[in-house]
Amino acid sequence: MEILRTAPNPWGQEVLVGVAWDLLWAAAIAGFVFVVGHHLYVWIMAPKAPKTAPEPAQEVPERVERHSQASRTFHWLMAATMLTLLVTAFFPVIGVQFAWVTIHWIAGIVLTLLIIWHIIHASTKQDFWSVWTGAKEIGQAFQAAGKFLRRQPAKEERSGKYPLDQRAYHNAVTLVSLGVIVTGILMMVGVDTWFWASNPYFLSDSTWGLVFVLHGLCGVVLVTMVIAHVYFAIRPEKRWMTRSMIKGWITREEYLEHYDPDLWKLGTEPAGAELAGGSASSADPDGVVPA
Amino acid sequence: MAVIRDMMPAFELFQPTSVDEALDVLERHDNTWVLAGGLDSMDWFKDRIKRPDVVVELGSVSELTGIRASGDGLEIGAMTSLRDVVANEDVRSRFGLLADAAAQVATPQIRNQGTLGGNLIQDTRCWYYRGGWPCYRAGGNICYAGTPRSMNREHAVTGQSRCVAVNGADTAGALVALGAQMLVRSAGGERVYEAEDFFVGPEIDIERMTVLEPGDLLTHVHIPGDWAGARFYWETARDRKSWDWALASVAAAIVESNGTIERARIAINGVAPTPVRLTDVEDLIQGMPANDDTGMAAGELATRGFKPLRHNDYKVPLARNLVRRAVRGDMA
Amino acid sequence: MALIGQDISPPDLRAKVTGRARYAEDFRAEGMVFAKLLLSPMPHARVRSLDASRALAMPGVLGILRASEVNQPDAPGEAALTDEPKYVGEPILALAAVDETTAADAIELIDIDLEPLPFAIDPLDSLRPGGPDARLEGNVRRFGESGPEWDSLKWPQSEFDAAEAEGRLPMGPPEDEWSHGDLDAAFADADYVLEDTIVHQSLTHHPMEPRSSMAYWEDGRCYLYGSTQSTQRTHQALAGQLGLEPDDVVFVGQYCGGGFGSKIAGATIYQVTALLARKIQRPVMMRINRYEENYIGRARPGFQAWTKMGFRSDGKITGIDLYIVQDHGPYGRSGDYNTAGAVTDLMYQPDAMRFRGLTLYTNTPPRAAQRAPGGAQIVAMLEPLVDKAARELGIDRVEIRKINAPTHDSEFGPQRATTTSAFVREAIDAGAAQFDWAGKQALSGQRNGTKVTGVGVGLSPYVGGSSGFDGLLLIRPDGKLYIHQGIGNLGTHSMADTARAAADELGLEWDDCAVIWGDSSQHHPYSAVQAGSQTIHAHTRANYAAALDMKRKLQEVAAAALGGAASAYRVEGARVTGPGGSMGFAQAAERAIAMGGEYSGQELPEDINNYTRGSATQLAGQGLMGVARDNFSHEGSTWSWVVGFAVVELDTETGDVVLVDYTGSADCGVVVHPRSLAAQIHGGSVQGFGQARSQKWVYDPKWGVPFAHRLYTARPPGILDVPLSMDWAAAGEPDPQTPIGAKGIGEPPVGAGSAAVTSAIADALGGRCLCRIPLTTDVILAELEGRAQPHALTEIHS
Ligand SMILES: Cc1cc2nc3c(=O)[nH]c(=O)nc-3n(C[C@H](O)[C@H](O)[C@H](O)COP(=O)(O)OP(=O)(O)OC[C@H]3O[C@@H](n4cnc5c(N)ncnc54)[C@H](O)[C@@H]3O)c2cc1C
Ligand code: HEM
Ligand code: SF4
Repeated sequence: MEILRTAPNPWGQEVLVGVAWDLLWAAAIAGFVFVVGHHLYVWIMAPKAPKTAPEPAQEVPERVERHSQASRTFHWLMAATMLTLLVTAFFPVIGVQFAWVTIHWIAGIVLTLLIIWHIIHASTKQDFWSVWTGAKEIGQAFQAAGKFLRRQPAKEERSGKYPLDQRAYHNAVTLVSLGVIVTGILMMVGVDTWFWASNPYFLSDSTWGLVFVLHGLCGVVLVTMVIAHVYFAIRPEKRWMTRSMIKGWITREEYLEHYDPDLWKLGTEPAGAELAGGSASSADPDGVVPA
Repeated sequence: MAVIRDMMPAFELFQPTSVDEALDVLERHDNTWVLAGGLDSMDWFKDRIKRPDVVVELGSVSELTGIRASGDGLEIGAMTSLRDVVANEDVRSRFGLLADAAAQVATPQIRNQGTLGGNLIQDTRCWYYRGGWPCYRAGGNICYAGTPRSMNREHAVTGQSRCVAVNGADTAGALVALGAQMLVRSAGGERVYEAEDFFVGPEIDIERMTVLEPGDLLTHVHIPGDWAGARFYWETARDRKSWDWALASVAAAIVESNGTIERARIAINGVAPTPVRLTDVEDLIQGMPANDDTGMAAGELATRGFKPLRHNDYKVPLARNLVRRAVRGDMA
Repeated sequence: MALIGQDISPPDLRAKVTGRARYAEDFRAEGMVFAKLLLSPMPHARVRSLDASRALAMPGVLGILRASEVNQPDAPGEAALTDEPKYVGEPILALAAVDETTAADAIELIDIDLEPLPFAIDPLDSLRPGGPDARLEGNVRRFGESGPEWDSLKWPQSEFDAAEAEGRLPMGPPEDEWSHGDLDAAFADADYVLEDTIVHQSLTHHPMEPRSSMAYWEDGRCYLYGSTQSTQRTHQALAGQLGLEPDDVVFVGQYCGGGFGSKIAGATIYQVTALLARKIQRPVMMRINRYEENYIGRARPGFQAWTKMGFRSDGKITGIDLYIVQDHGPYGRSGDYNTAGAVTDLMYQPDAMRFRGLTLYTNTPPRAAQRAPGGAQIVAMLEPLVDKAARELGIDRVEIRKINAPTHDSEFGPQRATTTSAFVREAIDAGAAQFDWAGKQALSGQRNGTKVTGVGVGLSPYVGGSSGFDGLLLIRPDGKLYIHQGIGNLGTHSMADTARAAADELGLEWDDCAVIWGDSSQHHPYSAVQAGSQTIHAHTRANYAAALDMKRKLQEVAAAALGGAASAYRVEGARVTGPGGSMGFAQAAERAIAMGGEYSGQELPEDINNYTRGSATQLAGQGLMGVARDNFSHEGSTWSWVVGFAVVELDTETGDVVLVDYTGSADCGVVVHPRSLAAQIHGGSVQGFGQARSQKWVYDPKWGVPFAHRLYTARPPGILDVPLSMDWAAAGEPDPQTPIGAKGIGEPPVGAGSAAVTSAIADALGGRCLCRIPLTTDVILAELEGRAQPHALTEIHS
């Protein structure tokens, strides 16, 4: 399999020009292998931890608002742009051809704006670090992984609003998305828009090559991630999360079953502020928790 | 790896005698190349930039050669030489536009050897790309021709999308103006394209000039009778009178009655990555007298929104004036 | 009947039309292998590392030759291979293999790492503050007090700013300057003064036959088959390059598919073929393809120039101020710009003139003389300006040229040189009559639909002859006259035409003569390079000198055999006849062999060149020898002239130009061979048409890589760019400073063709000069449409 494409530049020096599209297939296959693997694991192998019925420490209403209206709008807008980006980027590669570049960069700009807005919003109004992975979480992750490897039933830890795996996923997606965004913004210099003419000599050819490679790499990684994300969104035991991203609320039972009321204290955040779910991409951490 | 040019590397050559056989060879091998007259292909081979492993030469496929009546029009085999197209009595008398265009391609030697199919499918002559630069069209990530200092006198003034190369096929504009159809066969069967849909711009696919994909063969060009005997206008503006591609060209089929334009079909080429059919102009001039005012209006409309590059601003008035001449009814 | 002035069939004609003529590529030798070159992909670089092991390991690969194995002359000399390439396309190494496919495949396997170095494509860029130098030593080389020295010359930014503001060429301190007369007074005296910046492109020579060669070694002797303009000089140069005595080199080049100045003494690359053959001990054929020829095949330097010209109301040119920045390539030193100054002074005879200029090293292919080097550029640039003045002053355009043309004793140039003769007005009159200037002039500005007619005239002088070479003749016992010619055969017929001087003097029919040429093993005399239109002049003289020597010897041989005074014998009808009777040439040859001494070449004149001495010694004893140096007087420099007349039709909607009519008229002294002269006037003019209209270089400025490296992108004219009607005329006045009266004609037609076309286009545009050559469709259309010009004022290679 080819991973990178190189070509001799006008002076005969080999330079990077981009990723090889074999990678796209590899990413898609990786996504499906994960899906199938996870499915089989859950279905046959996953040890079931006994459910501990939690005691409500406080008054819990019938419906707990999990995502505000704004939060949900953001999520779906972002999902749409992400999908647009993926489709415009990769359909031509797999042979479905159309005029993709303009749609792609416009969607790219929309995504960028959404993310900027989200970052500002999250850092001012939300507990910015609630979705970030710290040393503590990493320790927990190692423990969990160790247990998993020893095939010990993992104690169903109830989490705060954003459980560890959601947060880890969020972080990975954030990184990769920032990757496409930063490189994508640079690549905007190379295309004609209504506002400026392309300037292909903005970067040297080998730097362009690197930018394209990073953009392409992050792009294909997103393919895998999105496959996984969608998979979890439609898994039966996670549908309550998907529903919450559509309708905004979860039931009292779901709240008590999945959350530690000490870690996610209801009513402690200003109304509507918990919205945006902390996702930096269409991958909604609330919906993809590989349990 | 050091670079060396103008010396053809070896490849495996197949010379099938039927379309089926040709398609079969194309199907069975990777990295194939269809060879017609070779005038475009050999350039690539000799410069070692396009390097097929397998070359399928169509010279012995007799079903691809020749011109015959088909319905009220003509069907021309893709392997028919440009000379035979020019010499054909039916083409000359009924579709003189194609004969005129083909007659001015390059030189007599090239017209003897070059085929109609090869002429239509020929790759762009952007010299950055032809020079083996790793530009978009070559699978890279830069258009070297589009920068503010690039040498783009011969490049596109419209239809640019990252790539600013032009289509240089003289017969392409003529066939668009004649409303021709392209018959394409692959192992999967036959497809038919309107001439104007046969050519693909970089916004759709930056690495190809036509819809043809590996494994596809253009078998025939069908010219319907719709425009037979219309007033035709063909003109190519170029730096030399032979051996040269159009800086811009116009192909027009116009039906007039009493000096009024009843209907028209006009294409320009050499100005965009594909031949450009001027549907707006066709609509505009319908019912108008064929004179210089109409011509000027047509030319202005045709070139509205053109975006010249650093060195090709002249193509705007050039294309405008060519359309103007075609519409006002100059003698070609 | 004298042969001079007749149309004759040159001895190479049959071989050429039947295809029997063998060009360098047609030779074969037992065990011959093929070489290919690795060319530089960068405009300026240094080889950091080069590993050919994978290539050498390939089956069929026989060896490589590196720069270190060829002669490396001091800067700015050019080596045949280099590890510091200074232009894209410069050969770095050569590789030999059993066939070309293998050789090319092997070259691709060479791992080469090049370190890019600063490069300059536009000379003006190199002059900007902080601008790049094309060579590590600098961008100019001047002859200072302590010999030649290098400099990195930069002009102040203020000059560039001022030029930009004034819309003119930047003109910082020049490297060369000369003047005569009082320029300020001359301009003050003028009734009309014009000033313009003009750009002229560089042009590759593009002969049909590229510089291919084949070489092998036998018993320490090198045999090389190549293409050349001048056989004897190539033989000598090659021996020098290989460090061998001329006797140890055999050079064969009987046919030459064009040179135009690019193969004056063969080609630098021939060494590589020879050295590679020696290294691998196999005959080596190096076929140069069009792509390679484009790079190593030489080119005409481009000019970025500015001029100011003052005219009196009667048309007399009072003063000319001329500044030329020459684009020079990385090696050697081309004199085109200096010649352009001299040509300007000669043809316009201004009361005062100042010439300033400089030549800059650039990272573009090496320049060499190209048919009228310097002259062809400047006349095409200036003639339309003279038209502009004529129009302004209401003077006929032919008349204004006659008003300013030199006479026989006019002076010109920095040395105030004089010419041997100047029948310029006669040539103009002959041409104007032939062309029907008065009638055609009436067509000027006539409209036919969208087309407008332009009528142009362009005058073009060039150096037309040198002297002091040797003639070498032999009458063998078969009675035939063998005329040994060291000049080449580049299709001009001069190897046959100059032989006529000897044949005529000895009263021979053409069938009694055999021309020996193109093979150093056949023994040539020391000869002029066949360049700069020297040949017809230099070698009618040399052959005439040898013929006089032979005639004397014939008389003396006859007198010795038949009795009586030698002076009483006449040479005519292939016999020597006198008081004692008559003897045929065959007999005379036998007698001469018997007599020995100077008669059969055992004793040779003191003043002949050593090279001739060597050849004559080889031939000694084989017949009656005539051998002499050309010692005829030759005062002043010899110049020929061509004036071109053209009619064009310019399409005002497309900028298209069709050349419909052309006449060239020459002052080249006595017309030796009318058909050949016509071919020179027409062929040279056609080259000029391409120069004026389509041929050019294009470089990407960012990468320094050229695009016009194929014939179709370089755009020399095709047959449809040549008018259907082409005519010629000649003044036919003998030059008084040469015994046969003939002057060369190779050079001036190019400038005449080019200038007539630039003048005609300006005329069609109503007298507007676009000051850019070539005048391509885009340039013309932008002017017609009042749009911005596609090229910046001084932009070159675009
Ligand atoms: C110096 C020069 C000047 C020229 N000037 C002009 C000009 O003024 N105007 C102009 O229009 N053209 C010009 N040409 C182009 C020339 O006319 C074309 O290159 C030529 O017609 C191509 O035809 P061919 O049969 O030689 O094609 P080839 O080189 O054999 O093929 C060209 C391309 O078409 C593909 N192809 C050919 N036939 C088929 C088929 N049946 N099915 C699928 N793919 C196919 C080949 O794979 C290849 O990619 C010039 C060419 C040269 C060399
Ligand atoms: C899901 C996210 C994204 C994916 C999967 C993605 C993928 C791709 C791919 C595969 C290409 C083609 C690259 C090539 O030809 O080598 C591309 C091109 C491009 N992308 Fe993205 N991209 C994404 C997001 C973005 C964003 C956020 C921006 C801008 C802000 C952007 C701007 C561009 C531009 C301008 C190009 C065209 C560059 C050129 O061809 O010159 N992309 N993208
Ligand atoms: S115009 Fe097209 S073909 Fe030419 S350099 Fe740009 S991308 Fe490549």
